[in-house]
Amino acid sequence: MDNYSFQLYSKILKLFWRVFLIILGVAVLIVIFPYVRSVVAMFVIALLLAVLLNPVVDFMESKGIHRGLAILVTMMLILGVIIFSISLVIPGIISAVESLTSKLQSDMITDLNKKVEDFFAVNFNNAELARNVTSKVNEIGLKLLSNMAEFFKSVGSILASVAIVPFITFFLIKDIRQFKRSMVAKIPNKYFELSLNIFQKVGKQVGKYIQGQATDAFIVGCLTVIGLFIINLVFDNPVSQFVFIGMIAGIANLIPYLGPVVGAVPALLIAIISNPANLGIVLIWIVITFVLVQIIDNSFVSPMVVSKSVDMHPLTVVIVVIIGGNIAGAIGMLFAVPVTGIIKVTSKEVIWGLKNYKLK
Amino acid sequence: MKNPIWAVVEFRKSRTKDDIFNVLKNVPIFSDLSKKELDEVEKIIHRREFKKGEPIFRMGDPGLGMYIIINGAVNIVEENENGESTTLAVLKDGAFFGDLALLDEAPRSASGIADDNCDILGFFRPDFMDLLYRKPKLGIKILIALSKIIGERLRRTNEQLTQLQKK
Repeated sequence: MDNYSFQLYSKILKLFWRVFLIILGVAVLIVIFPYVRSVVAMFVIALLLAVLLNPVVDFMESKGIHRGLAILVTMMLILGVIIFSISLVIPGIISAVESLTSKLQSDMITDLNKKVEDFFAVNFNNAELARNVTSKVNEIGLKLLSNMAEFFKSVGSILASVAIVPFITFFLIKDIRQFKRSMVAKIPNKYFELSLNIFQKVGKQVGKYIQGQATDAFIVGCLTVIGLFIINLVFDNPVSQFVFIGMIAGIANLIPYLGPVVGAVPALLIAIISNPANLGIVLIWIVITFVLVQIIDNSFVSPMVVSKSVDMHPLTVVIVVIIGGNIAGAIGMLFAVPVTGIIKVTSKEVIWGLKNYKLK
Repeated sequence: MKNPIWAVVEFRKSRTKDDIFNVLKNVPIFSDLSKKELDEVEKIIHRREFKKGEPIFRMGDPGLGMYIIINGAVNIVEENENGESTTLAVLKDGAFFGDLALLDEAPRSASGIADDNCDILGFFRPDFMDLLYRKPKLGIKILIALSKIIGERLRRTNEQLTQLQKK
């Protein structure tokens, strides 16, 4: 075997092993994923929390407070806010669902039943069949609604079961620098500076993006609550329902262009369920409130708090949100834009690095 | 009784840390720092091993930070457009280089190539900036020491320039 053939053979062998190991790695990941899915989910939530809380902890540390204490204080504050919000919102949701159940039972369903019965009586001359059908439909409807109430009641126990998340978050924030260091430790020398540079830049931009989005969502939520308080229409349990609608509006706002529309839906639904005499005017006021919140957000809040590094074309947003929805439903839609943003920032920095570093 | 395996791991860890402390203490940028402050620096530095002939960084690469030689030797080399290289300096144990990159991302003015198998510490700008924000007192100490070194170099350069102009 001549020298050239030997080198080629060795290269092919190396390539084969690399491809084989990658395929093996992917296969192992696919096999073990169902077993570690909950751990991965907890880790992702903890990582998001760590990214959000780290600037606060860094600020406290810069004022001379010990890092461990700063993390504990920040996490206690956040935990307090979460518990307070949940205790505020849950009764409202339960009462809304219960009132929906009773309203459906009393007014709308009775009307609908009557119409269906008349329809069957006229067309099939069989009122008994109609009564059977409507009672079955009512039964299913009520079962669904009572299940919804049960679901919201069980949110508390779900939260208790994820008590492990704060534990992971604590150590992620405390030892974030050591984690970063060990992540780059095994990178070959040739790619070390390039990788470290890209890693730092991507980390910084992604962190800023997530913090910006969270701040924006929080402000939009608050503005929505304030707006609903100002118009103060038709809500049975105002504070609780306003906070719930504000939370949905804030979270939905994470999806550009489509989110604000989705965010307005709960408020409109609650208004429709309440079915006041002046429903048309109430709906118009709610729409005006949401439009105003969006104008304030797009003109003042968003330009100040959200990083411009992940600006996306509206068409891109729509496409990725649809793809996200197809992959993982509502959660997929929510995470589609941030994940695309992270991929965009990473690709930009990798291309910059490959252009600027001499790797030969 | 302590598990002998953990005892060995702990011994190695403490010895490595001591090695790093001793090296850092002799670098002018860190020489004024207390043990506690050096401990903070130790948390953010990267330890790397380079084989003989391996580049640590290349001329023209964006600057990312400084390196300190624990043991081994590094050639600081300038390369021209034709690929010919001139050795500007050979640095040995305890020496540091690339410190200007702690201040900005300007391209490296020369390459650093391992002249021997080297054990090296890397201290990088993003970590330094982060330290400066989190621990301002410590960050300022390092920044002042760095300014003194750069000032000293500028003074020497000025002197040499003046001498050359006189000739």
